[in-house]
Amino acid sequence: MFWLKRAGSLAAGIGLCFLIDFLAHKQNDYAQRLIVFAALYITLSVSLNLINGITGQFSIGHAAFYQVGAYATGFITVKFFESAHMPPIAWLLLMLVVGALAAGVAGFVVGLPSLRLRGDYLAIVTMGFGEIIRIEVQNTPALGGSYGMSVTPKIQPIWLVWLLAISCIAVCRNLIKTAHGLPFLAVREDEVASSAMGVNVTRVKVTAFVIGSMFAGAAGALLAHQEGFITGNFFSMDISFIILTMVVLGGTGSITGSAVAAAFLFYLPEKLRDLKSPDGTALTVTPASIAAALLGVVIAVAIIKRVMDHSHRPKAVKAAMYLGAVVLAFISKLVIGMILMKIPAMSPPKIEAGQLRMVIFAVTLIVLMLLRPQGIFGHHEFSWTWLKSLFTRKKTGPTDPAPAVAA
Amino acid sequence: MSEAVGTILELRDATIKFGGLTAVDAVNFSLQKGDLFGLIGPNGAGKTTCFNLITGVYKPTSGSIFFNGKDVTGTPSSKIARLGIARTFQNIRLYPALSVLENVVVGAFLRHKVPLASALAYLPGAIHETDELKAQAMQMLTILDLEKVANYRSADLPYGMQRRLEIARAMATQPQLLLLDEPAAGMNPNEKEDLMNTVRRLRDEHGKTVLVIEHDMRFVMNLCEKIFVLDHGEQIAYGPPSEVRNDPKVIEAYLGEAV
Repeated sequence: MFWLKRAGSLAAGIGLCFLIDFLAHKQNDYAQRLIVFAALYITLSVSLNLINGITGQFSIGHAAFYQVGAYATGFITVKFFESAHMPPIAWLLLMLVVGALAAGVAGFVVGLPSLRLRGDYLAIVTMGFGEIIRIEVQNTPALGGSYGMSVTPKIQPIWLVWLLAISCIAVCRNLIKTAHGLPFLAVREDEVASSAMGVNVTRVKVTAFVIGSMFAGAAGALLAHQEGFITGNFFSMDISFIILTMVVLGGTGSITGSAVAAAFLFYLPEKLRDLKSPDGTALTVTPASIAAALLGVVIAVAIIKRVMDHSHRPKAVKAAMYLGAVVLAFISKLVIGMILMKIPAMSPPKIEAGQLRMVIFAVTLIVLMLLRPQGIFGHHEFSWTWLKSLFTRKKTGPTDPAPAVAA
Repeated sequence: MSEAVGTILELRDATIKFGGLTAVDAVNFSLQKGDLFGLIGPNGAGKTTCFNLITGVYKPTSGSIFFNGKDVTGTPSSKIARLGIARTFQNIRLYPALSVLENVVVGAFLRHKVPLASALAYLPGAIHETDELKAQAMQMLTILDLEKVANYRSADLPYGMQRRLEIARAMATQPQLLLLDEPAAGMNPNEKEDLMNTVRRLRDEHGKTVLVIEHDMRFVMNLCEKIFVLDHGEQIAYGPPSEVRNDPKVIEAYLGEAV
């Protein structure tokens, strides 16, 4: 029965990957690329979540492991693919393993100093490591230096990218579902208490780093063969920070949160790129309406934060208050906009909305962090029971009244 | 201090210095199996430091520590726990975001046998082991009367329950020797009474040797059969409660010198 169920879920997972592959191939090249990158970012953020969210080791150099995987396999493919005479998919699977192993070794090396460092200090070391890798590669002619490296041939199975993402989610979820995940969480919560309970803190931390970086390395291997070209810019500190933002925004420690936030944060700036007005031309806005919109956002956030403080109100009342806040903010945006339009400097020239995508991206992040500092999912995992509990007011967990014994 | 047959823990001239400060100075004491042993002294006497020496948080500057006749001086914390010494903390150190049950499973986890790879693949072995460890943890919660709150976040428990949860977590490692650092702190008289009975049961029914640090004199004097008194890192008295209670040096340490 167990194995039957397991075979079923494996088949469902692989089936899903091929379905995505099938649907993706009906889209244009740009959309296909987005689908591939979404999966890569899901892999990266979920694997960083294992290190950062679950084990609590603040690492901000995740792009380095991604880069190690990409360059190690890119180099090997360029040198040996021709002479290996292997079918491309088999070769790519081999490279997936090679990339994972290379990055795993790197993760081990970075994991070692993490035994002695905590919090900010570890963050600095991992950031430094990321920069060392990037700059080292940039100055190694054999790896293409700052010109980048062409990886030929391209091998681009979309299903495999998604299979990696789903495997990464599955592995993390399995870890958390079994008792083996508890030492990881325990190390995050309290190292001293954990070692007093017999948890080998060193080993747990290094294991987290190795598993997390192996997935990032595998993602790097796929990136190199998808793109056919890699350069240091693909792995800059910005990328590390975007991955970290995905983890924090999703809710530190929440696997599904990381995955959802990764997809959201990846697609948001891409979708904002081509904002259209109703008549099909590029959407343009005046400086006045930008300023008014920002003020509107500030008003909405301020009111919603006030509403959140009154947490004892019934859900329906609160929902109405949220709605009211948004409507009020929208009206004030219109009014402020009309007033600002009177100022000559604030009316035309018009700006293309697409150019403002990073501004909108940043504002979205700020608003989300203000209204939900614990992340979209907090410590929760997405599940149907959790979703239901949101609407039925009943808190998850035991239903009997709180323990009566007072301190 | 010869090595008697029943000796479970022995400190020989255990000393630790932090810079110029000698926190524990050539302390000698030994526990027999089944002892209810009290370690008392004024604030800053070096009691918790003694615990930290025994559990490998600190390595003694000189002297040595024997557990079951084996030299364990400087053995790392996690190994000490595996050898059979478990402790609680003076400032509660639970895993606040984890549930009460999960807290205790962490303690039971040192007996796991299934490799990590099996857990990552969610194989039946790992699933069964998880259930088994949870069942063992549940037993510990029952002993400490916490089974009703098993699914609460540990941070949401009232203070007295958090203290008991620390004991449950330590017990889950199935130690031979249990070190309790101020277990009764912050409890009301009723809770203290309950705790005293519980600790006695841990010894009588579960065969644990218990070493307690406690400031509440009534608690220590009633519970413990032997008491060791530290002041400024040095031994000032040792014996049964009745003797220690009337020892002039102890009175002086607690109440100050008679004028």
